[in-house]
Amino acid sequence: MNPFDIALFAAAIRLSVPLLLAALGELISERGGVINIGLEGMMLFGAYAAFITAWATGSVSLGLAAGIALGLLAASIMAFVSVTLRGDQIVVGVALNLLAAGVTMFLYRLQFQGTQPTTVRMEPYAVPLLSDIPGIGPVLFDQLPLVYVAYVLGPIVAYLLFRTRGGLRVRSAGEKPEVLDSTGVNVVRVQWSGVLAAGGLAGLAGAFLSVGQVGLFAENMTAGRGFLALAAVVFGQWRPYGVVAACLVFGFTDALQLRLQSMGELPREVWIALVVIGVVVAAAGVWRARSSGSPLRWVLLAAVLCVVAGGLGAAMLPSFVLPSQFWLSLPYVLSLVALAVAGRGVRAPAMVGRPLPSRG
Amino acid sequence: MNRQALRGLLVSVLAVVLALAASLAVIALTGAPVGKAAAAMWDGVFGSPAQFGATLTKFVPLVLAAIGWVIASRAGRLNVGLEGQILAGGTTAAVVGLYLTGLPTVLHLTIAVLAGAVGGALLGGVAAWLWARRGVNDFIATLLLTLIMTQVVSWLANGPMEEPTGTLGQSASVADSARWPVLLPRTTLRADIILVIILVLVAAYVLRRTVVGYRLRLTGANESAARATGTRTTLVGVAALCASAAVAGVAGSSLVLAAPAANLAPGFSAGYGFDGIVVALLARNSPLGCIPAALLLAALRQGGGLLEARVGISSGLVTATQAVVILLVTGTAWYADRRRSRSRPPGAADVAAPVAEGARS
Repeated sequence: MNPFDIALFAAAIRLSVPLLLAALGELISERGGVINIGLEGMMLFGAYAAFITAWATGSVSLGLAAGIALGLLAASIMAFVSVTLRGDQIVVGVALNLLAAGVTMFLYRLQFQGTQPTTVRMEPYAVPLLSDIPGIGPVLFDQLPLVYVAYVLGPIVAYLLFRTRGGLRVRSAGEKPEVLDSTGVNVVRVQWSGVLAAGGLAGLAGAFLSVGQVGLFAENMTAGRGFLALAAVVFGQWRPYGVVAACLVFGFTDALQLRLQSMGELPREVWIALVVIGVVVAAAGVWRARSSGSPLRWVLLAAVLCVVAGGLGAAMLPSFVLPSQFWLSLPYVLSLVALAVAGRGVRAPAMVGRPLPSRG
Repeated sequence: MNRQALRGLLVSVLAVVLALAASLAVIALTGAPVGKAAAAMWDGVFGSPAQFGATLTKFVPLVLAAIGWVIASRAGRLNVGLEGQILAGGTTAAVVGLYLTGLPTVLHLTIAVLAGAVGGALLGGVAAWLWARRGVNDFIATLLLTLIMTQVVSWLANGPMEEPTGTLGQSASVADSARWPVLLPRTTLRADIILVIILVLVAAYVLRRTVVGYRLRLTGANESAARATGTRTTLVGVAALCASAAVAGVAGSSLVLAAPAANLAPGFSAGYGFDGIVVALLARNSPLGCIPAALLLAALRQGGGLLEARVGISSGLVTATQAVVILLVTGTAWYADRRRSRSRPPGAADVAAPVAEGARS
């Protein structure tokens, strides 16, 4: 049985969307020099606020707005303590994760006393004409409305960061804040806006999980997706389209993982896909080595390994089951390997994790 | 005690008092009886020897994780991956405890605890290598390794190391010879707390009174100055990360070898690595200060359980209280760390100040 059918790709897109929303916001924040370990917490806040509002009012759009609002509120705490007061970004992020886990659990149990009510949820919207394209139409264009927002968000963030004055300021704040400061720009305000962008989008991502997909809330329902989004920023090497690609890859492995759990051993198509991935990685590596002179050795080694393992697997069909934990940790392994292989050319913005120099 | 340390203490105490007051206010808002809630918290910690023993049992991993954070952050490194290193240390300790049998008790336990330290240090070593050789941020590397390690432990406990019946999703108990002896009868408190106190004292001594500790603190305080005086700062960073991870690994070994079930279960650490950061922060990175701070957090964790059972207030409130403490302490760091720069009368300055004045003019 071929696991690569239309339903798989539809699931992959659905799983990518919350990652995309959160990761693109986090990209802006990190480009501005603030790493937001509390992304997970902000998503959880967003999921909770969206659920409770939709439950109380019966309106999905009010729920989404509430999700964004609480994400923004959590981001203001983050920005106030880490940017204005120059507290440690990492520590504040850890605190926000604890805060979100604690507050949402406390309020949810207080309100519902162990029951788990459902509420309205978002209806899919089929884009006229586009959704009639055979094959990709139903996959790409018969989805929840928020999915379409996610489609255009990548280009929007890329435009904002690299084609506008505000984007230039954000990027300068992340690399050389003292230069930005010397041009008379309020660096604190620039970093605030980056953190707020991350918080609002993380809140929306959380809202997508609760009222967007299932119409209910569960304790710790983000289940590590905030960390996955953080990893996507790393894997995407702090570039908008890189982040989009990373989120799609992560969403796809997640969907594949869910699918394979029900299938037992690995079908031949998965092994063949591994060969294809090896070839693509090699091509991309050669192309990048030509254009930017980045080292080729490790990339080629990885590609050859992929091709050989995939070829052997497809030929012999070894009967073993990869545990789900393999697939769940794959995004993090990929991110670390990508960072380690990329070398010093690719790195986090210089100010990430460091407080601004205090003035006076 | 100098003025700065005193300010730090003041900030920490105030933060805790404020956060506790705020959570009591929240309890009052929900309409639950505040007095009864406070009594439940108190009983949860001191109500019986068993409760107090349980508090001290929670104290052990908390204080160790905090010491791990202190060692790394004094060297200027951010080891956010303590949780993963705890998991790694617990795993290696469990492997030794399960499969290396037939040894006398003292020897087996010693080897298992050492294995825990080595396991933690190995995971920390990977992060240190990525940081030193490949230019990866220390906090990104340690965080990602933690997320990977969580899956590895889950796989081991459900797969290769699962107990013989293969249904419980956790390993069998380690051999009796690898378990910490009970310290207080009829409580969960075991003798590992003695080792922990010794480790804290050693860490405090090394950081404060030895050349190694001096170079470590110098690297963290001013890296270029450290390099100028001949300290190999990269080496110090790597060593600090590994040592920090080794201490976290010992915490992991305790979570396995001193637990009632004494086995490897997925998620056996339950956030001790992150709570350890809270403790270190509250102690303002002082190793000895970690002891009272860890006791406090252990009491919160332990008392929170009874709060839920007796008054129906979810333990989420305790988690939130911790978060508020962190935010208050982090937000006021600028106040506690403030140097006496302007208020100092001329002439009372130490030697370095006039030189700096001269360089500026």
